[in-house]
Amino acid sequence: MLNVEQVRKTFGTVTVLDGVNLAVKPGEVVSILGSSGSGKSTLIRCINGLERLDGGRITVDDFDVSKPRELAEARKRSGTVFQLFNLYPHMTALQNITLAPIEVLKRSRAEAEDEGRALLASVGLGDRAEAYPAQLSGGQRQRVGICRALAMRPRYLLLDEVTSALDPEMTSEVLDILAKLASGGTTMLFVTHEIEFARQISDRVVFLEKGVLLVDLPTRDFFAAGGGLAQPRVAQFLSKMRKD
Amino acid sequence: MRYTEFTPYDLVLLAQGLGVTVALFLGTSLIGLAVGTLWGIVRYYRVPGLTQIITFVAELLKNSPVLVQLFLVFFGFPAFFHLDLGPVGAAVITLSANTAAFVYVIAVSAIESIGRDQIEAARVFGLSRWQVLRHVIAPQAAAFSIGPLTALLVNQLQVTSLISVIGVMDLSKIGATLNLRTLKPFVVWSVVGLLYYLAAKLVATLGARIERRLRAHTAFRGL
Repeated sequence: MLNVEQVRKTFGTVTVLDGVNLAVKPGEVVSILGSSGSGKSTLIRCINGLERLDGGRITVDDFDVSKPRELAEARKRSGTVFQLFNLYPHMTALQNITLAPIEVLKRSRAEAEDEGRALLASVGLGDRAEAYPAQLSGGQRQRVGICRALAMRPRYLLLDEVTSALDPEMTSEVLDILAKLASGGTTMLFVTHEIEFARQISDRVVFLEKGVLLVDLPTRDFFAAGGGLAQPRVAQFLSKMRKD
Repeated sequence: MRYTEFTPYDLVLLAQGLGVTVALFLGTSLIGLAVGTLWGIVRYYRVPGLTQIITFVAELLKNSPVLVQLFLVFFGFPAFFHLDLGPVGAAVITLSANTAAFVYVIAVSAIESIGRDQIEAARVFGLSRWQVLRHVIAPQAAAFSIGPLTALLVNQLQVTSLISVIGVMDLSKIGATLNLRTLKPFVVWSVVGLLYYLAAKLVATLGARIERRLRAHTAFRGL
């Protein structure tokens, strides 16, 4: 269980997260919608320990991310895929994937590489294992980014606007993989602007607005007239996003 | 009676001087690289207190003439610590410290040149600060800094000539000695200058070769 309880985060005088509560059960796919600056990415960065909380508590399988000793365990259980890929440019695709399994999980190099190659093959990059990030397209880089996260066998996959830096064609490459993972039972917390896609793969959709979690509903209810759409901000957001 | 002709033995003297210069250069460069890199790592770990001290010392070393530092060590150590280092000891300490200060500056900027996003990614996947330094930062920082380091070492090779003033029998001191005896400054200093030039060229060539190897993975970046 990934638990976010009453989380507050401020940058100077700006409150970015204001008492957010969210629970993700194993096997669930939860999408986070919201306009830019609503605190979606910050929430992900709080969960993986990149930002310190100013209030509240986040636990990943009961490991508290605010406690330095438990953060390492919590991080082993969650894998992050970044908006801008954040690959290591001096390492090949395969090395990007195997670094953490070898160094953190202490897997043998051979085992980690076998698994890395299998992951790359599963996202259609079987022949690009020895390529450096600079030799790959954006969509290919993000697929490597997904493999890098999956190689840690995370219980929770955190996806932070993973298609925002990609053109539509590359976006669909990446979304296809995520759809496969979702139907395969991978637990995902999915920050996105791809509303239609979120609707297809999510069990639940939550809506963040100015650091407050306005709506948290099962996907069907979220998009129903009497559910999420009853919230004027949600209706406004959805109609605007669909027009674009 | 004064013997002003060149003799074959002068070549031996020149070779000896060159040997002293190269040995001091290599020794102080290695110490300087090790110390400067260590200082850079201390800063990376943000060791409280120590980082400020190192930055202060590096500032002093960078912003004062090597010659002044040389005199302070050569005359200061015996006077204040009752420690007679001799000319070679004073030269080793001064040149090593001076090189370390500049290596520190290069190391700091090299570490800071690595994108925050990659470091965050590595941290999120559970790598410790040390593992991040070793696997993510160091290889890229090395490629980044090899150019400035080569330039620094070529310069430090020339700077070694200053140690002749405290009596180290390096290439410059041999040059001065030969010059006084033969009174043929243009011949003597041309030969000495050529030897420095060749040594510096060798350093630059080696640096360029290492740089090519370290940057192999970025060769296609322009594509």
